[in-house]
Amino acid sequence: MMSQYWAQIRAVIRLEMKKTFLAKRGLWVYLLAFAPALMFGAHAFDVMRTRQYQHEVIAGHPVSRNLLDSIKPGMTMDEVQVKLGDPTSRRTVTTRRRTRTWLRYTDGESQYDFTFNDDELERISVHEIASLQEDKLIFATVFQFFFVRLAIFFGCVGIFMNLFRGELIDKSLHFYLLAPIRREVLLAGKYLAGLIATVVIFTTSTALQFWLLVLPYDSASVSQYMQNGGWQHLAAYLGVTALACLGYGSVFLAAGLFFRNPLIPAGIVLVWESANLFLPAALKKISVIFYLQSLCPIVAPPDRDMNPLLALLISSAEPTPAALAVAGLFAVTAVILFFGARKARTLEINYGTD
Amino acid sequence: MSVSGQEKTGPPPIEQSLVVFDNVSRFYGEVLGVNRVTLSIPPGITSLVGPNGSGKTTLMNLMTGLVRPTRGSIRILGVTPDDPEKLFRLLGYSTQFDSFPKGLTGSQFVYSFLRLFGTSHAECEKQAWKAIERVNLVDAANRKVAGYSKGMRQRIKLAQSIAHDPRVLVLDEPLNGLDPLVRAETIALFRELAAEGRHVIVSSHILHEVDMISDQVILLSNGYVVAEGKISGVRSEISEHPMQVLIRCNKPEALAARVFEQDSVVEARLHADKGGLLIKTRDADRFYRLLNQIALNGIEIESVAPADDNVNSVYEYLIGGEESTK
Ligand SMILES: Nc1ncnc2c1ncn2[C@@H]1O[C@H](COP(=O)(O)OP(=O)(O)OP(=O)(O)O)[C@@H](O)[C@H]1O
Ligand SMILES: [Mg+2]
Repeated sequence: MMSQYWAQIRAVIRLEMKKTFLAKRGLWVYLLAFAPALMFGAHAFDVMRTRQYQHEVIAGHPVSRNLLDSIKPGMTMDEVQVKLGDPTSRRTVTTRRRTRTWLRYTDGESQYDFTFNDDELERISVHEIASLQEDKLIFATVFQFFFVRLAIFFGCVGIFMNLFRGELIDKSLHFYLLAPIRREVLLAGKYLAGLIATVVIFTTSTALQFWLLVLPYDSASVSQYMQNGGWQHLAAYLGVTALACLGYGSVFLAAGLFFRNPLIPAGIVLVWESANLFLPAALKKISVIFYLQSLCPIVAPPDRDMNPLLALLISSAEPTPAALAVAGLFAVTAVILFFGARKARTLEINYGTD
Repeated sequence: MSVSGQEKTGPPPIEQSLVVFDNVSRFYGEVLGVNRVTLSIPPGITSLVGPNGSGKTTLMNLMTGLVRPTRGSIRILGVTPDDPEKLFRLLGYSTQFDSFPKGLTGSQFVYSFLRLFGTSHAECEKQAWKAIERVNLVDAANRKVAGYSKGMRQRIKLAQSIAHDPRVLVLDEPLNGLDPLVRAETIALFRELAAEGRHVIVSSHILHEVDMISDQVILLSNGYVVAEGKISGVRSEISEHPMQVLIRCNKPEALAARVFEQDSVVEARLHADKGGLLIKTRDADRFYRLLNQIALNGIEIESVAPADDNVNSVYEYLIGGEESTK
């Protein structure tokens, strides 16, 4: 019996595959999915170009990082220049009372600005050309606030909502309902087809984004990061991506059975998910984002320096352990699919007027 | 092959060979789809005939579980339409919907939905091509359905519904849009399928189109079964019951005189306003032909309407269908 169901599910997936991956109206799903990759690609390109420029600069003014770090406030301009040679740039401002001078050096990774008051080194500011540390936070922010909440969310609206609704509109759903297949099995097949498509599209994008994140950095610091939690981060991001498809997929598959207009459920769910932070703890758990949030490896900065007034409204978010979060998400998905299957069982063909 | 045997104990054997409607009603909100339908359909060709909106499609959708009855129960060879796993190994349905899954060729379409049975690639391939051959569409089978003509779409739907070798075939207006040659071929196919002992249930809004091939006819009107049985029986049922026609015209007396020449006209009554008359006739077919001749001879006929509904209006409608096919 199970093997029969499985064969039927595979037949449904075969029929759905083209629609989920190559829907004519589905191009925007790809744009949405790969927009962050495009952004990180542009950033990587920019960093690499700047770095190349800096390398050309230090070819003329070779300075090592050790040497740069040996400079201490209080030194004179001459002492500095003896140690480091000519700066890559120099600026002087003379007022009635004193003369200020800035000397800029670079070792190719960071930019050092030395500020002299008259002839005495007063301040050293080091500015990394690009910082993996910083970029990781940007990545975390983009991932949580754009990729999961909007890109995957609307990608699932586009793909899963259409599994039933699209065929009701095309008036071709009856072919499925006239086959010797349980409606629950049909639902499972369609859900899996949507899941395969979204997981492939969005995890590919996540992996690509991650690769572009580390691309501009030298292999030493990349492997340093990868050995120290980097792989776990990547795995977590991929996992959250897949789980987001799983959760939002079930929501919009069911929504496609209950609603004719996709904007209504999409709007309702979007508001509900966005309000999640402010909901009482019990209600928080009836959502997808709550579990995904707890699984994200790096807490995105906006959570930390949030408006204190808003922060007050947030109910105590007891940290959920990963295993529990995954189990919770599966539970929510199962409940939604259960209601979807019940609706599918009693679904009648009513395409409106012929 | 794919037809599952009748297992276990079940309803009595006679039930196992009938399509049974037991006091079935279906309302769409306030709108009546069909009402109080009780039928037992044996194997052979059965035609559901009635004008637009009379409930043919509703009956077929009820038979196949696409809609559920508001009241009553249905059994297809003993199987309830609520059990698709069993039902659709017994039954194939070619719907009235003229729409298809996107991007498939004719053969891919038939093949893909056969795979839903859970059978192997080779088996499905074989069944699909056999069905396509049966509807004579081999040449076009590798083209996209989207590029098919109406007649070809009708035939590929037919192929899809017979591919798994069902014992009951439900075909909603299968002759619609076919040219005379293909129509004859398709009718021959129905006869073949019926001769193999299957149920072939077809619908049409033109009695003339199906009466010659049907083993029995079910006449529908406004959601009710108004006549049912062998075609000869249905015909006499109609003609035994005189039909009343209201005619508005400029010279009702002259018209009355003319129509009384026909012995099937049993009564003609002038309206008080001298602007029309009511006629009772046993042979509406002949009466309408006469009326057409009269209309050519200077009497201006304003309107013709059947004076009572049910059988008469259906019959009037069906005669209209005959006229139009002449
Ligand atoms: N989905 C629906 N919603 C509301 N009313 C419906 C629906 N489907 C059918 N009806 C109504 O039920 C009645 C029977 O319709 P049905 O489609 O069964 O007729 P039909 O005999 O198949 O007509 P046709 O010859 O036009 O195909 C009609 O009055 C129709 O308006
Ligand atoms: Mg119809």
